[in-house]
Amino acid sequence: MSEEPVRILVVDDELGVRAGCRKILSAEGYEVTIAEDGQAGWEAFQARRGFAVLLVDLMMPRMTGLELMKLVREVDPDVLPIIITAHATIDTAVEGTKQGAYSYIPKPFTPDELLLAIKNGLERRGLTLEARRLREERERRLLEVAAERSKSNTIIKCITDGILVINTEKLIVLRNAAAAHILPDAELVPFPLEALGCAEVRSLIEEVLDSASGPTILSREVGLGEATYMVNVSQVLEPGGAEPASGAEPASGAEPASGGEAAGAVAVFRDITALKKLETAKSMFVSMVAHEVKNPLAAAEGWLNLILSGLAHQDPQEERRMIQRSLIRIRTLRTLVTELLNLTAIETGNFTLRRSPVEVAQVAADAVEANREKSQEKKIQLSFTAGAREKALADREALLMVFSNLIDNAIKYTPEGGHVGVHVSHDGLYVKVTVRDDGIGMDPGDKDKAFDEFYRAKNDFTANVPGTGLGLSLVKRLTELHQGRVSVASSPGAGSEFSVHLPVC
Amino acid sequence: MAKLILLVDDDLDFLEQNRGVLSSRGFRVTCACDPQEALAAIERERPDLVVSDLMMKALDSGFSLARLIKQDPRWAGTPVILVTAVASQRGFDFNPRSREDLIAMNADAFFDKPVAPEALIAKVEELLA
Repeated sequence: MSEEPVRILVVDDELGVRAGCRKILSAEGYEVTIAEDGQAGWEAFQARRGFAVLLVDLMMPRMTGLELMKLVREVDPDVLPIIITAHATIDTAVEGTKQGAYSYIPKPFTPDELLLAIKNGLERRGLTLEARRLREERERRLLEVAAERSKSNTIIKCITDGILVINTEKLIVLRNAAAAHILPDAELVPFPLEALGCAEVRSLIEEVLDSASGPTILSREVGLGEATYMVNVSQVLEPGGAEPASGAEPASGAEPASGGEAAGAVAVFRDITALKKLETAKSMFVSMVAHEVKNPLAAAEGWLNLILSGLAHQDPQEERRMIQRSLIRIRTLRTLVTELLNLTAIETGNFTLRRSPVEVAQVAADAVEANREKSQEKKIQLSFTAGAREKALADREALLMVFSNLIDNAIKYTPEGGHVGVHVSHDGLYVKVTVRDDGIGMDPGDKDKAFDEFYRAKNDFTANVPGTGLGLSLVKRLTELHQGRVSVASSPGAGSEFSVHLPVC
Repeated sequence: MAKLILLVDDDLDFLEQNRGVLSSRGFRVTCACDPQEALAAIERERPDLVVSDLMMKALDSGFSLARLIKQDPRWAGTPVILVTAVASQRGFDFNPRSREDLIAMNADAFFDKPVAPEALIAKVEELLA
């Protein structure tokens, strides 16, 4: 703006005045446009806006100076009108200033009078414009601040982490919805810190507020009811500490801390309950796996140690027995690793089923045959009957694993001379495969946990049965991958019956 | 008469192995599959030393058994050796690091499975000396 010359419109029906003004003003660096009457002045104004000063005669043909002033000021109120008139009476001056003229210059005038009037007028105009610019900026800022404030309030309200803001007076001045849910200790904010029920949280906040040595952030896991929270308390140092306190008018009236001093503290509560549960489940699983892997490994190692130490007295028969015993444990270990890999693959969604219409009875028959030898070794009568030839959309190998596992289990937990029967039937929309034995059965507690990973019923009988504790959970997962379900009916001494339902395709 | 040792484990392989090791050194050996059975065996046979697995039916059953033995004035003097396949649970390592740790777990010795035959014999003989 400062670079561009100040533009002045001179409207007078006297040629001498027009020419004189142009000469004087141009010499001072003003850009001057002239018009011979009100109408011509209005046209010149409209042709190119942006005049700073309107020098106007009052009495002109076609349109008077006052009429022109009025029109101009309606369009551009920033134009500074200065009246030049020969009729320098009080009346016209009053009328002129009523219409918004800044001043008037009586004709005739000297160049200095003209320049002074214009200089004063421009100064005044500059001040007005600057004041308005400042006012507008302030209003815009205020609007922004209000919008920002309501925005941050909304954000704070919506954050699922609990948030408390505490001022140096130990007054809780802000509590978002999540925090109110976590710590429903007082109805209304603000309330004193002592009203906070949880002593652990209270002392954590106090520790931060009372710490004199600069900014502090403290984090602690805190159990509140059923849930566990990671509580982060940070000291707030900004002197503009009023901002967090904005939610509570009475408290924000407290004198703001001076620069660098503590303004209060903010406590954030993050619910880590699910994380803790997951962590516990994970470490329990790892411990179980470690135990289940190391136990057979140690047993096998123990037998080999024994052979090497010569305690078998080099009896080939005895040594052979020891090697066989270690082999059993090593095979269990290998099965365990395979089952673990399968389970992990299923859990991570990397176990791809190759499904096609499969005759379920055929797969069950194959599983029975695969276990035939094992049953004969134990003198267990293994029977198979198929009363349904329905097909299911299934992965043949996975189904074989399911049925084999169940039959293998049945043989394991049935004493010599017992019976294991596999039966395929039609059950509504499902084809049902049952594996029934007259073995040791399960008590209700064991039955409920039968499908849990690594769960193995422990009793005198099962102590002699090698197993990984993963077979049944694999059966369950594989069946569920086929949109099927597996269930068990059993009671101690009366055998067990496992049923697999698969949707018919 | 030869000293009597009670072996407690729910894993038959370990029972057999340790029985083999100890009986080869002339000890008499009796076995129990769980802490309940072990307590009955103690009442009945008054063993001179107990070697117990740590994790049987309940996860800390070896610790419980050791505590019951040491707290009963009748058997408080009976040495207890604890053996385990996994000396940590959920990241919490309970391998004893000092004499105090052993006392706290009511044990006179602590071994990782499998125990080398010579190590087991040496410890048993030391504790019975």
